Amino acid sequence: MSALRGFALAEVELQSFDRSFAARCFVQKPDRYRLIEALPADVPRITRGSGVSYGGASFGGESLVQDMSAFDRLLDFDAEQGLLTVEAGARIGDVARFALSRGWMLPVVPGHPRASVGGCIAADVHGKNPARDGRFRAQVESIELFDGERGWIAANAYENAERFAACFAGFGIPGLIGSATLRLLPAPDGYTVRRIPVASLVEAGEVLLAHANAPVLYGWHDGRASSFGRGVVRFGLEAQRPKDARRAIADLPAGIKPWPILAWNRPGIAVMNRWIRSRWGTPGSDSMSVEAAMFPLNGAHAYFAGFGKEGMLEAQWLVPHARYVDFVRALGDLVQRLKPRISLIASKLFDGIAEGLAFDGKGIALAIQLAQPKHTAQVAFVDALTELALAHGGRPNLIKQSTLDADTPRRAIADFDVARERLRSFDPHALQRSELTRRLAL
Amino acid sequence: MTAVVIGASSGLGRALAVELARAKHPLLLVSSDPRDLAALAGDLALRFDIEVATLAIDLAAEANPGARVLAALAPLPASTALLLPIGQSRADDDFSLGVNAIGQMLAINLHAPLAIIHAMLPGLLESGGSIVGFGSIAAARGRGRNVVYSAAKRGLETFFESLRQRHEPKKLCVQFHRLGFMRSNLTYGMRLPLPLAEPGRVAQGVVRRLGTGSFDRYEPFWWGAIALVIRCLPWPLFRRLKD
Repeated sequence: MSALRGFALAEVELQSFDRSFAARCFVQKPDRYRLIEALPADVPRITRGSGVSYGGASFGGESLVQDMSAFDRLLDFDAEQGLLTVEAGARIGDVARFALSRGWMLPVVPGHPRASVGGCIAADVHGKNPARDGRFRAQVESIELFDGERGWIAANAYENAERFAACFAGFGIPGLIGSATLRLLPAPDGYTVRRIPVASLVEAGEVLLAHANAPVLYGWHDGRASSFGRGVVRFGLEAQRPKDARRAIADLPAGIKPWPILAWNRPGIAVMNRWIRSRWGTPGSDSMSVEAAMFPLNGAHAYFAGFGKEGMLEAQWLVPHARYVDFVRALGDLVQRLKPRISLIASKLFDGIAEGLAFDGKGIALAIQLAQPKHTAQVAFVDALTELALAHGGRPNLIKQSTLDADTPRRAIADFDVARERLRSFDPHALQRSELTRRLAL
Repeated sequence: MTAVVIGASSGLGRALAVELARAKHPLLLVSSDPRDLAALAGDLALRFDIEVATLAIDLAAEANPGARVLAALAPLPASTALLLPIGQSRADDDFSLGVNAIGQMLAINLHAPLAIIHAMLPGLLESGGSIVGFGSIAAARGRGRNVVYSAAKRGLETFFESLRQRHEPKKLCVQFHRLGFMRSNLTYGMRLPLPLAEPGRVAQGVVRRLGTGSFDRYEPFWWGAIALVIRCLPWPLFRRLKD
């Protein structure tokens, strides 16, 4: 190690956000461009932003991890065109706050404000209403990426266009993303977020479709057998002067220390769902700042800590409209039969194109979060859920569910191997590796 | 008024640049790689709405770095602070360095700071500014490691003592911070016996003390007690220390 002094290399224990996977990895933490370039071209590697992906997307696979957290700077801002260039390690919450301070906003941001811009591109994340705003790629004008053999490459819709497209839902395979130019939109003053209680996931689907053009649109639902699907759909409308807008709270940390005991056992889940119902389960509206609406997970520190040391699992499936009602009815039956410990279900509307490995299409996505993901009963439920979703034409979110194996996405995504080949054409020696790429045989 | 940061692109230098920008100083940032400088300058100018100029020079090869710094300062408001959080250390600095490597280390750790201070001294005296140097706990006592580095840092410390002896604090604040272990790319992954100082926190203290008189101090302060113990160790015992 001493020979590498100044190269910023260390052996570090890393863990995925859902706590499903941990590995001891060599991590390089460059803070200057020449340190990024100093890594020999033939070293297996993967880029790490903030490390908040649910599965091991930014480490593992016996790769050297290049931690880009020092590359978090704002490089350029065109206040007339609304174009903001940032380094890839910039946290999306910081970028959003800067944009808002200048009257602009990023319409597509993930729930976790510490996700890096590079991570948002690599996972092609969706925001608060993907049916209206699409995926992260919709707001990226250009990317600069580093390839160990070719050096720095500018990529956009006209130059290196195929590589540019491959970066989205490319899971780091097309190269290390160094910076990106983001296209911003004028920001509203805030939102009025209305609550519509729903009795079932079928009703939730109808409400989501009825408000497809709202800038904020998602549902939260009870996953217990006794009240399966009951919940609330929240939709936000732009408000010029929101009254008593809730101030944004501190960003959710990248790493959350788990509570020593599991809070989300059956009684705990019951208490939480009752609390959610009492707080948000009645019709009404709240005024909310744009920042608070962008990052609802900021209020969820205790929720994530409550999964304890065993962690959690999120399975997110997008089911086409035509199969959605059948799917949720079958899912309800499955929940009645197996009684899994589902802490929460979130619903979202999608209206995009199912291309490559991206999580998109036309339908409704359900994100099902479970405690104790390694317990036999929970595993049995997840396996049955996977088969059910596949049988109903579901498409999995590859970045979310850390138990997906190599076979499942190939059954769900017709052109999976074509997309894989396209990605690997930019990395012919398969040097970009992570736990996610290993698990999915990408 | 303009603050000059030599070695601004990483570690303490970058943290100082951020704190000085927060205090609304126009900045001249000096480092070796124009890409690092452009990124930092762009970020500080956008976030803090200040004027930021950059100068990319290789201090190991530059014959007259002071002149280059003065030329880069010309379009900026008069400077009131010169901060030199600069240094280079090597793992093989254990009597095995070649002559070129020794020259390079002396150039970066000693010659360049002295040359830049000499060039900027008249202007700083005129504005009643501050010169801030950074030493190292490694210079507390000579050991078989960091040989050239600690010799250069000891020389720098002596130079700052001379500055302090020559100039009244009312006319020129001469401040010297001896740094203990700090979180940086040099210490990343190293198992060290004492906690690492955070560059951001150290930078806050340094910027807060600008213009508050002349002094030399340890950073964090408790390193002073450790340095005292190291200096007081009897030679037979000190000689046996390996780390």
